[in-house]
Amino acid sequence: MFEIAILAVLVSLVLAVWRALAGPTVFDRLLAANAIGTGTILLLALFGFLTGRPEFLDIGILYALLNMIGTLAVLKFFRYGGLGHRGEDEEHVG
Amino acid sequence: MDLAVTIASWAALVAGGFFYLVGAIGLNRMPDFFTRMHAASVSETLGAGLLVTGMLLQAGPTLVAVKLVIILLVLLVTGSVATHALARAALHDGELPLLADADGKLAATSPDSLFPGLGARLAAPLRSETVEQPEADPSKP
Repeated sequence: MFEIAILAVLVSLVLAVWRALAGPTVFDRLLAANAIGTGTILLLALFGFLTGRPEFLDIGILYALLNMIGTLAVLKFFRYGGLGHRGEDEEHVG
Repeated sequence: MDLAVTIASWAALVAGGFFYLVGAIGLNRMPDFFTRMHAASVSETLGAGLLVTGMLLQAGPTLVAVKLVIILLVLLVTGSVATHALARAALHDGELPLLADADGKLAATSPDSLFPGLGARLAAPLRSETVEQPEADPSKP
């Protein structure tokens, strides 16, 4: 049964990569990148169960945390044009 | 009992895989960005939730189950936050949703037609941008 779920997740990852490459706007690409991140986490967990080594779940948790930080960082970059705080430089000068 | 748990786990894993696939197909087939976002949320909530539930039933009450619950909680929380931020950024950037007009034709329409004043509110600077810079402390060099 894990094979079926892994196959479904793998096909979904291919479709998400397709959208990431074809996406007309940058937000489509971000959405696809987010979906790829979620798929990676589930793929890691399912593969750990398939091979009887649930230690893969730790890597999955790490990927989940990185995925969140990555998406929010990219969104902040597009929103503000940078990742630093606004007015940081003026504070240092003044 | 063991057989019932195995069957339930099998059903959850297959259903989770199905919904995950449905979300990914929708991600490619939907006509505009906001509907694609809706399709992606199917695989991120229903698909991931059912897959993790199936693995939980396989794991039984062990440390592995705790890790699976942590993964599920992180996925649910970050998925909602990222989706909200993504939609906000897209609307702020001027991405318009496809809406049906009176004749049923789809066209990129300003969200103002549904929620009056939404466009102006989105274009306004965020609170974090308008916050006052604290006065320079004269005692500091």
